Amino acid sequence: MISCQSFRANVTSREPEILEHLRKCDACLEFAVSADPDHFFRSIGGEELEPPGGVEAFTADVMAQVRLRQAEGSVARRFLIPPRRLAAAAAVVVAIAGGTLVWQRREHPAAVIAPAIVARVTRPVVTKPVVETYQSQNATIVELPSQGKNDANVVMIFDDSLPADL
Amino acid sequence: MPAELRLMIPTNESVEPDDRQLVRTIRSGDSEAFEQLVRRKTTKVYSLCYRIIGNAEDAKDISQLVFIKLWENIEKYDPTYAFDTWLYRMVTNVAIDFMRNKQSRENAVNSTLRLVKTSADAEQGVVVQRKEIENVFNAVSSVLSPKQKMIFVMSEMDDLRSSEIARILGCRESTVRNHLFNARKLMQQQLKRRFPEYSRLWEERQ
Repeated sequence: MISCQSFRANVTSREPEILEHLRKCDACLEFAVSADPDHFFRSIGGEELEPPGGVEAFTADVMAQVRLRQAEGSVARRFLIPPRRLAAAAAVVVAIAGGTLVWQRREHPAAVIAPAIVARVTRPVVTKPVVETYQSQNATIVELPSQGKNDANVVMIFDDSLPADL
Repeated sequence: MPAELRLMIPTNESVEPDDRQLVRTIRSGDSEAFEQLVRRKTTKVYSLCYRIIGNAEDAKDISQLVFIKLWENIEKYDPTYAFDTWLYRMVTNVAIDFMRNKQSRENAVNSTLRLVKTSADAEQGVVVQRKEIENVFNAVSSVLSPKQKMIFVMSEMDDLRSSEIARILGCRESTVRNHLFNARKLMQQQLKRRFPEYSRLWEERQ
């Protein structure tokens, strides 16, 4: 480490030996910070820190996790069908299905299905008047005009004395 | 003939493989080589995580996660680049994710736990102590975005140059300098509000 005198002479520099002195010498810390305030936070850097428990324990933890992941990976690989194999299997299935279809067509050509003939029966509508003759003093009889020769003749009778279920 | 005799003596010194050689061995499936790499890089990774996260247990968990990701993605490492650049990139990605989640959880809590010094304290002389600076840093850096904090830590505490940080983060050097400028400004404002006795250091210089 450089002397306090040479440090104070080059205090604003960012050379490694200046920073090393800044981070180790408590006597020069205040001087350095007053000369260059950026040294304030700079002074807590540099040193390499050890994780809690030390480097060996940390390394052991990491390796345990790596081995666990390795084991998980190998198990997963065993049960996982690789996509290339999956694609090959799909191609085989498609080829077999296609071949079967072609063979079936050659052996048993499809019968020609005759179009179904649907006979439409037209029946003339025969209407029978419910009430053929009606006589009443209070009734109002409305006869709707028919629009054609075959049109049904509609006659409406409004009478309070008529039974409801007629 | 002492020189000849010296040549005959078997040496116990073994040359440690460099990072790239270790990676090659790991890729061939050697987990012991990986263990060696973890042992070699633990303090570097943990220190960076600790300074970014500001909590020992969280920093330890993040560091472990970094190494597990390293193991899972070792095939993706391009040996034309320095291994540490790739490692730092992994640390920044994992730490930024963690901080984003943590920030959203703790924003409300932090706002109520503000340390305020009395004006009488501010009048007294500044006695700078390292442990106190660490606490001050943890308090005032909470206003920084994860990326700003990351850049500040890498620049001021890990002594990385802007060009190296830009390579790690995959951005331009000017972006790094911008983030650094803004981070300093925000932290000065926070110092002024929460630690007026220290903020005077910056004011005196201006």
